[in-house]
Amino acid sequence: MAQLTYHQVDSDILRAMQAPGWRYYTLLSIDLIVVAWGIFAWRYTVQHGLGVWGLTHPVMWAMDITNFVFWVGIAHSGTLISAILYLFRVRWRASIYRTAEAVTVFALFTAGLFPIIHLGRPWVFHWLLPYSQFGGLWVNFRSPLVWDVFAVMTYMIISVLFFFTGLVPDMAVVRNRTSGWRQKIYAFMAQGWQGTDRQWRHYKAAYVFLAALATPLVISVHSVVSWDFAQSVVAGWHSTIFAPYFVAGAIHSGLAMVITLLIPLRRIYRLDAYITQQHLENLAKLIILTGLIVGYAYAVETYIAWYSNNVPEWQRFTYQVTGEYAIPFWIMILFNSLVPLLFFVKRIRTSTPWLFAIAILINIGMWMERFVIIVTGLAHEYDPYSWGVFIPTWVDISITLGAFAWFFLWFLLFIKFLPVISIVEVKEELPPPTRSQNGEE
Amino acid sequence: MEIKRRDFLKILGVSGVTAAVSGCSSETSRTLIPYLIPENEVVPGQATWYATVCRECPAGCGILAKTMEGRAVKVEGNPDHPVNQGRLCARGQASLQGLYNPDRIRQPLRRGADGNLQPVSWDEAERILAGRISELKGQGDRLAFITPVMAGSLDRLIDLWLKSVGGGKRLRYEPLSYESLREANRIAFGVQEIPVYNLQNANFILSFGADFLETWLSPVEYARHFALRRAYRAGSMGRSVYVGPRISLTGANSDEWIPVQPGNESFLALGMVNAILAEGLAEGLPAPELKGLQDIVAPHTPEAVAKQVGISADKIRVLARAFVKKHPSVALADAKSSNATDICVAVNLLNYVAGNVGATVRFGAEAAMAQVSSYGSFQKHLREIEQGAISILFVAGVNPLFNLPEGKRLRERLGKIPFVVSFSSFPDETTESAQLVLPENTFFESWGDYEPWTGIRGLQQPVMEPLYDTRALGDILLLLSTRLQNNEKLPWKNFYFYLRDQWKELYRRIKPDVDFETFWTESVRRGGNFQSVATKSVQLNPEVFKKSFQPPVFAGAGDGFALIPYPTLAFYDGRMANRPWLQELPDPVSQIVWENWLEIHPSDAEKLGIKKNDLLQIQSPAGEIKLPARISKNVRPGIVAIPVGQGHSAFGRYAQGRGASPMSLLSAEPEADSGALIWYGTRVAVRQTGLKHMLASTSGNDRSHDRGIVQTISLAALQSGIEKKEHPHLLRMYAEHHHDKHRWGMVIDLNACVGCSACVVACSAENNIPIMGKEEVAYGREMSWIRIQRYDEGTDERPDHHFIPMLCQNCDNAPCEPVCPVYATYHNPEGLNAQVYNRCVGTRYCSNNCPYKVRRFNWHTAQWPEPLNLQLNPNVTVREMGVMEKCTFCVQRIRGAELAAKEENRDLRDGEIVPACSQTCPTRAIVFGDLHDPESEVAKLAKNPRGYHVLEHLNTQPAITYLKKIKAGPVEG
Repeated sequence: MAQLTYHQVDSDILRAMQAPGWRYYTLLSIDLIVVAWGIFAWRYTVQHGLGVWGLTHPVMWAMDITNFVFWVGIAHSGTLISAILYLFRVRWRASIYRTAEAVTVFALFTAGLFPIIHLGRPWVFHWLLPYSQFGGLWVNFRSPLVWDVFAVMTYMIISVLFFFTGLVPDMAVVRNRTSGWRQKIYAFMAQGWQGTDRQWRHYKAAYVFLAALATPLVISVHSVVSWDFAQSVVAGWHSTIFAPYFVAGAIHSGLAMVITLLIPLRRIYRLDAYITQQHLENLAKLIILTGLIVGYAYAVETYIAWYSNNVPEWQRFTYQVTGEYAIPFWIMILFNSLVPLLFFVKRIRTSTPWLFAIAILINIGMWMERFVIIVTGLAHEYDPYSWGVFIPTWVDISITLGAFAWFFLWFLLFIKFLPVISIVEVKEELPPPTRSQNGEE
Repeated sequence: MEIKRRDFLKILGVSGVTAAVSGCSSETSRTLIPYLIPENEVVPGQATWYATVCRECPAGCGILAKTMEGRAVKVEGNPDHPVNQGRLCARGQASLQGLYNPDRIRQPLRRGADGNLQPVSWDEAERILAGRISELKGQGDRLAFITPVMAGSLDRLIDLWLKSVGGGKRLRYEPLSYESLREANRIAFGVQEIPVYNLQNANFILSFGADFLETWLSPVEYARHFALRRAYRAGSMGRSVYVGPRISLTGANSDEWIPVQPGNESFLALGMVNAILAEGLAEGLPAPELKGLQDIVAPHTPEAVAKQVGISADKIRVLARAFVKKHPSVALADAKSSNATDICVAVNLLNYVAGNVGATVRFGAEAAMAQVSSYGSFQKHLREIEQGAISILFVAGVNPLFNLPEGKRLRERLGKIPFVVSFSSFPDETTESAQLVLPENTFFESWGDYEPWTGIRGLQQPVMEPLYDTRALGDILLLLSTRLQNNEKLPWKNFYFYLRDQWKELYRRIKPDVDFETFWTESVRRGGNFQSVATKSVQLNPEVFKKSFQPPVFAGAGDGFALIPYPTLAFYDGRMANRPWLQELPDPVSQIVWENWLEIHPSDAEKLGIKKNDLLQIQSPAGEIKLPARISKNVRPGIVAIPVGQGHSAFGRYAQGRGASPMSLLSAEPEADSGALIWYGTRVAVRQTGLKHMLASTSGNDRSHDRGIVQTISLAALQSGIEKKEHPHLLRMYAEHHHDKHRWGMVIDLNACVGCSACVVACSAENNIPIMGKEEVAYGREMSWIRIQRYDEGTDERPDHHFIPMLCQNCDNAPCEPVCPVYATYHNPEGLNAQVYNRCVGTRYCSNNCPYKVRRFNWHTAQWPEPLNLQLNPNVTVREMGVMEKCTFCVQRIRGAELAAKEENRDLRDGEIVPACSQTCPTRAIVFGDLHDPESEVAKLAKNPRGYHVLEHLNTQPAITYLKKIKAGPVEG
């Protein structure tokens, strides 16, 4: 980045925030339509009851909870890249962490909807919140669902704080370049940033502090989410490996989602100078790691199902690989643990089309993983008389698509309202400007 | 349910009041609760129980109807009634859905000029009918009256009425009738009767196709007998063997199934008689009888029979020896083939040589079913109709257009009758072709009496005001008689007075020590008058020695499948098909709901390339129907079986257009000897249509996959003595629960449970469980809180059905409880897993975490089409969509009994609280009570060495102990 100047950085990065063209509006409109369709599907559910979904006895959770777990998982890479890599002083994170963090926040916005959407009576969702109800009745602190409420809300608060804290110096840059009501908003978000030494000192301290706070959450949130399953008696859910398995899977899917978003972003807004092939390659290397962990978890699950000599456990496993959900299962194995191994080949992990394609496959694979875990476990439980099959309806699919569109809606707005790359941190990477360098000053 | 003193007084009161009310039933207001004049017995929130008689089938069980705010909300068996002794079957439990059926005919109808039925006033209807009858001008025999077997005052009134209009033909029609049994008793013993069978004394029940647990004669009574005798006591238990072409529920509950071609049963029975006589096992037979018998059975040596029937000669000898040695035993026959009478005669001989006649087969008290007009006489009258000899036909309480073969031809024949009057409460097939419909009250709204066996006179009283503008049949006839100015012949003001007069006669006959009013009120209160009848001894009728035994004959192509149409536990002959509870009740053996099917053996299916749910065309010389295939080892090869009861073309929204009726395939020719309809006398061709029709089943899988859900123990192991194995209590994460006062629990004896599913319907009625319909059930969304799970643990050759009632286990360490985020489900101080519907937010985690899968989720807000909503139990919340629901051992009954005990300042008594499932169980397989009380029945039973918990290894510590089913194995002789 030696050839870049501070000025160049400002204008390059803020170019994305310029008035959008027709392509952007088209994309936004399509996205809004899908969101509206999803909202309609949910409204339809509220009106007619959960019977309009494909849920049944015994599969009482399916795509609703799949979406929840999937989006919580997506939320993980952001914190990994922004907080953990920050603490480890990994310098290449600078130009991608903003996007990664935005992915975290928006994924949580999406995930957070599902605990409400999935309720039989969503109009009383507030009963899930920990406050004294009906004169002294609290929530059941033994329930993993209550733990979820805490875990996800904590993660959401910290992530949002972290996101906005990191934005403060950049907001000052934007504030200085805008006028009118926009300037007022950015000025508020810049919180009176002047770039003084004292401000920098406080800013850095707060940032490290929040990074340190967010780091354990990367582990804890998905561990708690995994306990929704691991704490139950359901064969195929009740497993001690679930916490690390879910965390690794979460990061795996999160990294894939970041790649999926970064590649078009850098192409459309010509940010190649900032988001380089090296960045993507580093992400791909991380994916190799998480892919291996996920693959190992699959192997261990299989082994334990056999080694435990537990009849329901083993029968559920054989059902999983050969039954109605065999295709999602083999998609999961192939896309999550085998396809990412291609990244061992340097030519593949440095090729943008390959990267993009594999990242999308991992996204699909990870969604399927959650689906397979949830549905096959429930479909073949202890009482064979009560075995059943879940078949998604148009409402299930609409709500799922609506959730994706909802996530991308936030992301599209993010591109236009906030700098997608941290201006300040990119500038930090540049050599300090001197007269000799560009001769103008 | 015991009648308390208060209830007694109320009933005493009401019988007088209702007497006065029914005296002018046509003028009473249509308000259900006329609060303007407060009635003594209607106290809001307080239930009043009325004794009456169940008239859904000819068994005539006693009922107690629970009414609240003037409407009947639940029926239970009358403990004083000797037939059912407080229990009811699934059909009896569903009888309220007849009363509250949304498709009931609500006022008189007449066929208008446009050919449609139109409402008409009673006055007008009577005028039209009286006009028609006057036109007969004394030619009374041009009038025919078809009723079911009524065995009571109404039956006699109809005869009187017919006489008053100058005679007339009277037919007592029952689709499930026993003409061949009656005729065989005449041939064998010279008594044209149906005797009493004392199955509870029989050490060995050998059933030749008699499905006495489902429909045969008196299923509730026989189920009780069967379970009583099969209970393990002092080292032994009663044994049973089922002989027949398909496994019915009765067959599934027997120790052994001997598959035979329909009609070959007679030879097996004769072979057994031959073996018994040859081995000199028959004792005390007079020499001429012995000689005569030997002559009859001489050609039927075990070897000859073995060749004919396909059972080894040794097996026949073993059965024969066991049958005699296990004296008293009993052989039952429900023969339906062309040689039906032969079969019944052969079985009579078998009972006779084994010394069972007079012991387990007792003549003297006769079954009302013996009064049935034979199918042959029906055919005779149909010919008369064809010749135009009948101008008016009255049809009450039966639906011959659905039940008789050749329905289409029958409809044409009925079309030749100028005037058909239907008294049906429902728009059934026969009513659809009537010119005038005078809707009868249901039995819940009328007075009456019914005597199912001689001496057992059930008294039927109205338990509520008629729901609609309908009248009792007796009242209609008496009013008609007034209009015809026949009053001097029929001087009664209404049917109630006639009934009382009839009971006055009875009073004079039996001469009790009380005055008539006391006798009457006492009879109304008890639900009838029950006298025992002396057994009459019978000898062999010499006619039997001339009997020759014919092989069965089949109509239709020789290479076709022998068709076995069979009545079902839920629908009887089809008359119950408009009850949504029964439609949604899984058939216990097939677990299919809402439709019927064709059962075919896997080897035959393979030959024809038939797969499950293939829509098949079934063709006989008489007609053709289409039904989906169910491939099952429950039928023997060469046989196809079809359940009867579906395939209605009318009969309301729940019955119409589901499946097909196999009756239209049967040939109309009656059996030569007895005039019975030949059910098993048709061969059918089965062809693929290339289409599929998905059947809805509630069973997720037919096998239990080594999960140990239904556990069994062999008789030998039990005899050698076993200790109860307590599963070690594993560590718990949270503290143990303490139950200070009570710990409610249940014991379910799988050796007594026959899978009859009465508990399922009783639970639906008690707990306001909604009906979901075929599509939802097919998807697994049925709502019932208790279900009969059927597992087939048999081999590839033979099925081996195990039944287990599965309901909430109310675990002590319940997996559902900790996962609920809002405490909608929690452990109450009495050990129940309480479910607070209003608190439930619908996360459904509790259901996911329930290993027994007994929680049900409200996918939609349930609908009860009016007036079905009137049946809802006011003591149980009606749940809205989005909440989870489940069994809580009828917590409303627990609370009710606790309150009553508190009011009376006493402790609860054992047996005072009876959940609906336990209350109705005909075999007393379900016992409920306090596990903390060491003296309670349930606590004692829970210590039984056969006891186990389902999925014990999960450490859920259920409150339900199941007692293992005893597998006795094949009988030994």
